Amino acid sequence: MLDIVFAKPVSLKAGAVAILLAEEEILAGAALALDEASGGAVARALAVAGFKGQKGKTCLLLAPVDGLTRVLVVGLGKRADLTGVTVEEAGGAIAATLSQEAAVTVIAEGLAPLDAAHLGLGAVLRAYRFALYRTKEKAEDKPKLATITIQAEEASKARAAYAPLKAVAEGIFLSRDLISEPPNVLFPAEMAERCKALTKLGVKVEIFGPKEMEKLGFGALMGVSYGSVREPRMVVMEWNGAGKGKQKKPLAFVGKGVTFDTGGISIKPAGGMEDMKWDMAGAGAVIGLMAALAGRKAKVDAVGLVGLVENMPSGTAQRPGDVVTSYSGQTIEVLNTDAEGRLVLADLLWYAQEKFDPAFMVDLATLTGAIIVALGQEHGGLFSNDEELSQKLLGAGIASGEKLWRMPLGEAYDKQIKSDIADMKNIGGRHGSAIIAAQFIQRFVNSKPWAHLDIAGMAWSSKDNGTVPKGATAYGIRLLDRLVRDHYEA
Amino acid sequence: MPCPELRLVGAGDVIASAPVVFPVAKGAVPAAFAAAAAIAGFTGKRDETLRLNGHAASGNEARIVLLVGLGRTVREADAEAAGACGAATLFDYPHIAIDGRGLPRAFAVALAFGAAQRAWRFPINRQAAAGEDEPAIGRIDLVVDDPERAGKRWPAARDLNEILGFTRDLIAEPANSLTPASFAGRLSLLEEAGIGVEVIAGADLAGLGLLAAVGRGSANPPALAVLTWAGQGPGAPVAFVGKGVTFDTGGISIKPADGMWDMRGDMAGAAACVGAMLALARRGSPASVVAVLGLAENMIGADAYRPGDVIRSHHGQTVEIIDTDAEGRLVLADAVSYAITRFNPRAVIDVATLTGSIMVALGHEMAGLYDNDAVLAANLAAAGRAVGEGLWRMPVTEADREALASDIADIKQCLAGRLLPDASLGAAFIRAFVTETPWAHLDIGGMDLREEADTHHAKGPTGFGVRLLDRLIALRYEDPDHP
Repeated sequence: MLDIVFAKPVSLKAGAVAILLAEEEILAGAALALDEASGGAVARALAVAGFKGQKGKTCLLLAPVDGLTRVLVVGLGKRADLTGVTVEEAGGAIAATLSQEAAVTVIAEGLAPLDAAHLGLGAVLRAYRFALYRTKEKAEDKPKLATITIQAEEASKARAAYAPLKAVAEGIFLSRDLISEPPNVLFPAEMAERCKALTKLGVKVEIFGPKEMEKLGFGALMGVSYGSVREPRMVVMEWNGAGKGKQKKPLAFVGKGVTFDTGGISIKPAGGMEDMKWDMAGAGAVIGLMAALAGRKAKVDAVGLVGLVENMPSGTAQRPGDVVTSYSGQTIEVLNTDAEGRLVLADLLWYAQEKFDPAFMVDLATLTGAIIVALGQEHGGLFSNDEELSQKLLGAGIASGEKLWRMPLGEAYDKQIKSDIADMKNIGGRHGSAIIAAQFIQRFVNSKPWAHLDIAGMAWSSKDNGTVPKGATAYGIRLLDRLVRDHYEA
Repeated sequence: MPCPELRLVGAGDVIASAPVVFPVAKGAVPAAFAAAAAIAGFTGKRDETLRLNGHAASGNEARIVLLVGLGRTVREADAEAAGACGAATLFDYPHIAIDGRGLPRAFAVALAFGAAQRAWRFPINRQAAAGEDEPAIGRIDLVVDDPERAGKRWPAARDLNEILGFTRDLIAEPANSLTPASFAGRLSLLEEAGIGVEVIAGADLAGLGLLAAVGRGSANPPALAVLTWAGQGPGAPVAFVGKGVTFDTGGISIKPADGMWDMRGDMAGAAACVGAMLALARRGSPASVVAVLGLAENMIGADAYRPGDVIRSHHGQTVEIIDTDAEGRLVLADAVSYAITRFNPRAVIDVATLTGSIMVALGHEMAGLYDNDAVLAANLAAAGRAVGEGLWRMPVTEADREALASDIADIKQCLAGRLLPDASLGAAFIRAFVTETPWAHLDIGGMDLREEADTHHAKGPTGFGVRLLDRLIALRYEDPDHP
């Protein structure tokens, strides 16, 4: 992980430098000194490029003067509109543009300590790479950026503000690694094994295998697993950070972890099936979130549950038409074996509320293609039975840059999963199918406040973007960390 | 007769052969029916019905009595739904009565209105005369204590019933008889209600490049219809804009054959605007309202527009065509631009069966609402709730507009590929032709037609949007103290 260092401003004469410039402001302080030292080269370049500090825009100078290799001016937009997300994206732009420099110094005068810390987070997140399986990469093709020094007046405050963000970044990296791993390497048992790393952070990790889950009566989850030779797992991760005497009902986070989804007997078309390695991104986000909360010692009690299965077609696979009995006791007619995520979530949600009596449950799942058609790749879909939880989640989405859009629930949609033979069937019509999936999941929620995040459009990015390089986004971690931080910490 | 006649009668005027619908609030089964209800387990729950063959209750001679449940807390919408249940059950009687005695007049009227709407039938194009082979409710008598007192609600409900019938007939009408020109011709009916009707066609359409392009493949040329209701003006009007594609083959980007017949209803947005204009004119709305309808037939032809074409819009922006089957947004872009340029409206609301994507997103329970103005959106959603036409607000963002960047023109009409948020992209496209004006776009792609009848809805066109737009005007634009 990119090293982020905070230091008091000193004048710069050499190396690579990034300057932050807000709209309608001029170079000042250390940036102005640098400009003067370079004989006005920076100001000239900005004038020539027509750069006025617009948000999302940058201006790069190469070797403006002896000693300085690259100077990157990054626009912040209007200072009055500055948000943590804008600053993170500026950090992302620095990490991406200056990736061939080993060390970069950022002149961040005028930035509040917390914003300076978010700048560092943005840079770290954008610099993430999954290069485990590149064996012949040439040295010159590898990014060299190792350290970013952020010059801020209140360096020690910024450093303190960065520490918890770094823990969040570590959770995100863990999650992105899991999501990026190929499915032959990362299967349920392996993924469960990797969760054990969280014990070092003080998380209690408990792993359930097929015997335990059969015994509990997880008929819905087990049905999905029957097609694969790779055994399913459930991992329960408990973080008790609220402190003695302050324990309240825990917050529960539940993730869909289908390590590969062929669709099963209702097999998917071949085109694009490789994407189904990231059908465990909901579980990946929950694991990363638990690592983040524990890593920053969040003063909260939280429990994360992930259901890990591989959905394969085979002689032992479940068939369309099978009826399974879920842990809740409700029976499900499985009409489409490719609507498997909801089956996994059904058992986990019921278990979560029976075992932990949580304050609320939030589940994350790459659940439907319909949510992508509805919302594209800019908002995750939010379905909830609780107005207050919804508002908090929507707010956390805006604050963290991981946005949500509320989608409807209702009786008319619920009717569509009425089965002729069981308590419900696992699909309805194609139209409104993200909503129908949410209705299905809601049948496994008692009166607990609950939110379902359909993140199928958000888990994977087809291009480099702000603080997210192409590939696994680990969407959901910053969102839910923010939810916890803003509303639930003691 | 696709839409039954509604009459207000006294208890003595109901003919003997007519079954009577008797509304029952939850837990309030009248003593006369108590024994039968107890055996059948009928308690008056919402949507519950109990048919009693030959029951001599309430001093009536023996006849069919249908108890319908109103539920515990009765709202007008529940009464409408109960009326619909009644009509759904008694669909094969030419003449039914509804006993509204003892109910507040508003609920009694809502019962009859709901029944009449549920009893709508496709206009019949068979050789046999209507009624000979097709059971249909032709007449509904609402029984009240004082039939001489019509009140306000009764004539309003009768008008709305008739207007919705007209709208639904229009949507159901086959495309070989309903062309852009004949659609425009039907609008003369609106003149009787005091609505100004202007039809722009032929050479006068010059400048409406997108509308002209969509219509170019057809032998039935396109037209733009402009409807004006002055109300008690002056002041800027509210503008409705409707997509009126009288038939949509998809053009060169042709649709699959299966289901293409439903595309005769691809003018449901325009029809909704027509119905709403009629409704607000009939009740003498003081608001100033205009409607602009883009009428075209999207056909395959030797001179049809092609994917890859670049066309100059009324607004001036050039548009790169990607898919000739995404024609609705083209028609709307020109119609919206025309409405804004000509009327400088205080708000513009377009209504269209625009995308299949909205069906994937929201199914068939709610229409998609896209907007650039939170207040207008909230008013529309409130109007929708009030009349039982649900809207769900959906996102239209800068990123959607950026995704429509074209290599060769100012904007691309849509994107090619799968799993695309095409409803948002369609909205973003239309929005690019709106500058400052508060704007909302209703994608009614999933709401215009019912594939199957159920207890509350007839099969076929719904007329979705008529009540909603009329209610929006009533709720927001008629208060002189809140101009």
